[in-house]
Amino acid sequence: MTLFNMLFFAIAALIVASTAIAITRRNLVHAVIYLIFGFFGSAFLFYLFGSPFLAALMVIVYAGAIMILFLFIIMMLRVEAPEEHLFPPRQMLPAVFFAAAYVAIGGLLLINDPSAGAPLTEARTEPAEFGRYIFTQNWLAVEIASLLLLVTIIGALLVGQRPAREDEE
Amino acid sequence: MIAVGSTDTTLLAAIAATKLPFVAFAVILLLTRRRPRLSAGLSLTAIAVSLASAGFLLVKHWGIARPIEYAALWLAGGDVSVRVGILIDPLSLIMLAVVAAICLLVQVYSLGYMAGDPGFSRYYAFMSLFAWAMTNLTLAPTLLQLYIFWELVGLASYLLIGFWYEKFSASEAGKKAFVMTRCGDVAFFLGLLLILVHLGNLDIRELNGAAAGRLSPTVVTAGALLIFGGIIGKSAQFPLLTWLPDAMEGPTPVSALLHSATMVAAGVYLFARLFPFFSLSPTALGVCLAVGTVSMLIASTMAMVSRDIKQVWAYSTISQLGLMIMGLAAGNYVAGVFHLTTHAAFKALLFLCSGVFIHAFHSNDMVVIGRQGGRRLRVPMACLVIAAAALSGIPPFSGYFSKERILGALADLPNPLWVAAGLLGAFLTTYYTFRLIFIILFPAPGGEDTAQSHGSEHGHHGGYAVMAWPLVILAAVSVALGFGEKAVAQFLLNPFGSVTPAAAHHAWLPYAALGLSAAAMLLAWFEFGRRGAGQIGFVERVAPLHALFGERWYIDRAYRWLLDQVVYRLFSRLCARNDQKIIDGAVDGLGRVIAAGGGRMSILHTGMVQYRLIVVFVSIALMAIYFFI
Amino acid sequence: MGIPFGYVLALAGIVVVLGMICATTRRNLIMILLGVEVMLNGAAIAFIAAALRWQQLEGQAFVLFIIAIAAAEVSLGLALIVYLYHRTGSLNPEDYQVLK
Repeated sequence: MTLFNMLFFAIAALIVASTAIAITRRNLVHAVIYLIFGFFGSAFLFYLFGSPFLAALMVIVYAGAIMILFLFIIMMLRVEAPEEHLFPPRQMLPAVFFAAAYVAIGGLLLINDPSAGAPLTEARTEPAEFGRYIFTQNWLAVEIASLLLLVTIIGALLVGQRPAREDEE
Repeated sequence: MIAVGSTDTTLLAAIAATKLPFVAFAVILLLTRRRPRLSAGLSLTAIAVSLASAGFLLVKHWGIARPIEYAALWLAGGDVSVRVGILIDPLSLIMLAVVAAICLLVQVYSLGYMAGDPGFSRYYAFMSLFAWAMTNLTLAPTLLQLYIFWELVGLASYLLIGFWYEKFSASEAGKKAFVMTRCGDVAFFLGLLLILVHLGNLDIRELNGAAAGRLSPTVVTAGALLIFGGIIGKSAQFPLLTWLPDAMEGPTPVSALLHSATMVAAGVYLFARLFPFFSLSPTALGVCLAVGTVSMLIASTMAMVSRDIKQVWAYSTISQLGLMIMGLAAGNYVAGVFHLTTHAAFKALLFLCSGVFIHAFHSNDMVVIGRQGGRRLRVPMACLVIAAAALSGIPPFSGYFSKERILGALADLPNPLWVAAGLLGAFLTTYYTFRLIFIILFPAPGGEDTAQSHGSEHGHHGGYAVMAWPLVILAAVSVALGFGEKAVAQFLLNPFGSVTPAAAHHAWLPYAALGLSAAAMLLAWFEFGRRGAGQIGFVERVAPLHALFGERWYIDRAYRWLLDQVVYRLFSRLCARNDQKIIDGAVDGLGRVIAAGGGRMSILHTGMVQYRLIVVFVSIALMAIYFFI
Repeated sequence: MGIPFGYVLALAGIVVVLGMICATTRRNLIMILLGVEVMLNGAAIAFIAAALRWQQLEGQAFVLFIIAIAAAEVSLGLALIVYLYHRTGSLNPEDYQVLK
């Protein structure tokens, strides 16, 4: 068992554990904090799989921006620990049933897939190389993504504005 | 439809004869309603050209042996095909000439009769509509075309009966005529469908030819009887006869044209048209004979008690149509058609003469007309007498020849009952005709004082001359037509080969008929004509009989009762129940089922985002199974 | 060296299932959105592994777009949640039944 393998298993355990804890927290702030650990784990995994740029992006955007946004909203709305009935059986039972089915199907797929056993070789993508690739091969998708972000900004502004107006009236 | 630009004069003449009145109708209704004189001129021009074309066709094809047919395919589907076009054969030529001639004369007469009427343009528009429909009906080569124009003729009749629609009884009469004829037409249409289903087309020539032999006798009988139902409605035969007397609410020229000479004769014309087809079924012929006989006798008795001059002629029309149907059903084609022709002339004449009296004295009552000096109007009076003589079958007049033929045909039948009925009918006809004549001619003393004032007034009524000319022409025709009997008979029988059925000679028959007529005339003279006569008919002395005849044998009452009991009480209630329970119930039930179903379905519609999310995941999982396993 | 590709896919699958459970069972709009983020994260892991497996850069490009779209989705989603909370005073999805 090489270091690489050990690192992978450790990171995988970290991701699964922190995510599992995160989704069962009643306190939303705790949930978000645990999830940040999960995302850090994902960033490690990205680095391990040879894309340091994406790992950095993951930390900055996901853990840094998105999760902080979540925290910000939670604290703004003062709903850190709502009186929530956790995992009501009416929803839990079908969810668990289908999750089990999902896992079973996925497992079957993996076992039956001959290419699933192919070992991953080590590789590394330099940020410069990745950037050149993105902006030469996928420039249109980048433009579309930027447009999407613009639309989102405008939409969020609009949605955020309206209640204020109604309150004024 | 038909190649335009053809140099075939026959075709051109036929198109001119049949299509021009429609042009006049459309132009009058659309453009010239405000200008009555122009409308009348248009209508008269159209029908005059029509008559000229008809005359030209008659002269050109005098003696044709093979029918000429122009037709184009109109409907075709599977083994069913229906064509439209023009069929020219002796029967249609004679009928076309009769229709066009009477139309023209009546329209000329109407110039005087309808003068000053606010609906003058409308009147001429409807007259043109009628002329168009009737000429096309006459020349129709297929039963479907005939049926279409048959209905259009019925429409024109409805419009013209109810012409003075502000009068309640007139619009009621129009409705009655329309509905009652429709009853017959339903049967007619069913007959058409039956024939169409079994034969595949509705060609009159094929129906009369060998093709009908392919049909089973049951189908022929059923088809003939159903079509005869239409004839009963249109020709006002028993039991659908009561609409015709009521139809007299229309203007008198309309009665003369539609309800005596041409439209009601369309039924008989249809019978003659399909004569070979009807001949295939002895059962149908028997029914026709019976219906004709009953109608003839019943209508005659009704005519014996009526005081309304137009009603008398209306009953007389029914009875004469019955006589024609008897003649045809007895197997004598020529007799029926010839009587149709002569009847058209003298009955139109009778109505037009009566119209002059009504116009002059503003009364339909023959007693009033007589008291006010009806005999001072010399031309109409003379024409009335001529026409009455023709109707009664007095020798030199045309009615004598045609009636003798029918009676001869009846005498040929094995059962002497029919000829006895025919002779009785002749007796009654003469009696009621001369009853009317004598009442007008020799009014009972007492009313003479008013006669002077009215007698001098008649000259002031406008359009007397224009009304008199058609009378004179028709009177001349009524006299002359009888002598053309041989020629017409030969012409009519041409298509059937030269096999003139050698009528068994009944030497006694003319004497018997004449004797009965003379007896009837004497009776009428004794009761109404002689000086100091009580002017009370023998029927009026027997109260129940009088009531029976006066109430039209209670046929209208029976219809009323039937309508009340069966239609209103039974059918209406059933329909209402059907509406409320079944149709409303079905609609409500549908709504309820949908509402209930929606209620059930709304369980799925929980308004919970996460259930939908679960469904999305489930479907993704199913898609994964479908695509990868 | 040499983690089988299947292991990484299994990890990604587990993360996605966890996110799915979170999104479908928690009675809180913010947690639902978090669950969606977790699922996107799982997808990203699978893509990175696939890029390594086939030595192609498309997988990494996809992850880039996933991050961009996740950012957009979260900002808009949170804006909507704030808006809804202001209107109804609740974050429980059961309370959003105006259409029922």
